[in-house]
Amino acid sequence: MSTRKLTSRNWFGKASAGAIPGFLLSLALCGVFARFGPGEVGFFSPQAQFTMWLMAPLWACILSFCFLFQTGARAWLWLGGASIVLWGLLYASGPLMA
Amino acid sequence: MKIRSDIIRMYRDIHSWVGIVCGLALFIAFYAGAITMFETPLQRWASPPPQFEQPTPLEKTPELVEKVLAKYPQAENRYEITLQTSPERPARMSWHTGPRGGGAHYFANLAADGSLQVTSESPSAVAQLVDDLHRQVGLPFEHEISDPIMGTVSLLYFIALVSGVIVLLPTLVKDLFILRIGKNLKRLWLDFHNALGLFSLPFHIVMSLTAVVFAFHHQFYDAQSAALASGERPPAETHAEMGHTGDTLSPVAIVDRLKEQSPEFRPAYLQYHYEEDHGLELRVAGVNPRHGMRGSTVGFAGVDPYSGELTMTGYMPGEQSGWFATITSFFALHFGNFGGSPVRWGYFFLGLAGAVLFYTGNLLWIESHRKKRRKGYEHREVKQTGASSVLGALTVGVSLGCVAGISLTVAAAKFLPQWVGDPAGWHFGIYYAVFLLATAWAFIRGAATGAVELLYASAAATLAIPSASLVSALVPELGWNHGGSTYLVDLAAVVGALALVVLARKTAERIRSAPAESIWFAGRVEQGASESVDRAGASSPA
Repeated sequence: MSTRKLTSRNWFGKASAGAIPGFLLSLALCGVFARFGPGEVGFFSPQAQFTMWLMAPLWACILSFCFLFQTGARAWLWLGGASIVLWGLLYASGPLMA
Repeated sequence: MKIRSDIIRMYRDIHSWVGIVCGLALFIAFYAGAITMFETPLQRWASPPPQFEQPTPLEKTPELVEKVLAKYPQAENRYEITLQTSPERPARMSWHTGPRGGGAHYFANLAADGSLQVTSESPSAVAQLVDDLHRQVGLPFEHEISDPIMGTVSLLYFIALVSGVIVLLPTLVKDLFILRIGKNLKRLWLDFHNALGLFSLPFHIVMSLTAVVFAFHHQFYDAQSAALASGERPPAETHAEMGHTGDTLSPVAIVDRLKEQSPEFRPAYLQYHYEEDHGLELRVAGVNPRHGMRGSTVGFAGVDPYSGELTMTGYMPGEQSGWFATITSFFALHFGNFGGSPVRWGYFFLGLAGAVLFYTGNLLWIESHRKKRRKGYEHREVKQTGASSVLGALTVGVSLGCVAGISLTVAAAKFLPQWVGDPAGWHFGIYYAVFLLATAWAFIRGAATGAVELLYASAAATLAIPSASLVSALVPELGWNHGGSTYLVDLAAVVGALALVVLARKTAERIRSAPAESIWFAGRVEQGASESVDRAGASSPA
């Protein structure tokens, strides 16, 4: 695989990947924390509040490091792909949507 | 630490762009936020003395409540009993006419002869204005519009922190404890910016991530419950049991019962809330000096108003479960409401340092985009880009406009209630008038001259705060002085004004020695002599 030099010129594709599939991925990671960990979602327990708070560090880190992808397309593919895998896992392991 | 040079370069670009986009908004948020660390003394400083000569004794509160509810039945849904009255909480009982703290704010007291006294003259609104500026990064919009902007700024701010650290990492060990004071001004600013940023990094990470949640928690909750909630809901939140017919406990009895159950909790005010479907509920706001709190200055205990039993301790400092204490720690870390005065002062200075970080960040951008006169090309005219002068003027105008605007609107607090009918509106107007005027001034005069003049103007505006206290002391009909911690406000303003004067003098020195082509050049060297002006620009024209 060729390692082209990273540049800030193609920032828009990468940043939009961090914002959109990055948001979905953060949401899915929170879902994993709620489904398989001690978190909860959907009402106002402290566990659900904690799960909500998790969104900020997850999404902010994805937005900060998404620039390390070579191109916008790759960023969309990886972040989108990871979202699909995690959402699939969540879907397979129990009901989604209230 | 070794990092590939293309990664460093990429993150340096990202750092300067997100910095430029959100630096000025963050300056306002941090400057105003630093001041909100002393919200309570500030509000007391700014609020007129209570109109009632004597607060209703706490034992007579049930009589007061009965008389108010007979005359103002709309108060029944939500009212507050203040345990210790003060200028910023001027009456034993208060209520709002609108839902959730909206509408007119009424205050009630019993006179010595037992007759009911009611007023709608509120404590000063200026502390709230400063808090709004802080929470809405200085934007005058409804919070539905300001919140997403603030949240986006906070996300960009986090990206700026990460990218700034990445750029610094390779030279971290070499650069960290060094401040190169010398001819190279850019180097000096950069060392200063880096040291400030790195040593307050944990504070900045906390602020950015908590601010993202404060802005977007509705969206996060909605997205999570829409996409992830699996349907099996636990029973609805437990409200106080219905069907109580007995008498409620008096506030004195409530305080006694609380003392038995949580001796270290110091109640401040009681919030009563009545609704058809769940009856009367009581929430007690108070502090526990050994614990951080969910609100900016208080935590909350749910109490049964009939028995005084604690019903909900999730937000009660000192009585929380591990999960609730964890959530509260996020709020407490943002509000700096743990550890008492030393932590408040620490947050105050960290907040001011944050404002300086963004100010120096913008200066660095200007310095590194400055076109320089190069050896051998002295005859060429050097023209700065429009972007540099625009950003220079914006940085100077917005930052100093915020400083001067807050100072002047705070200073006005002691006189507005006697002179105008709507002090809150005037506070808002004064701040934004000064802010816009200063920004316009910086554009008209240019960054250099504008900076010096606006620094002196900010110093004068800040000096107006202790002057207002002084005038009030000399002519008591004009204003008031409450003593105690409110002198802190005057003292801080005097120190602040002196610091601004020092900065003004330093800046004036700087622009006298600025190269003629710099945006910091104020035109002291005659035009047409530029061919012979040396690099420092300090020598006299030929």
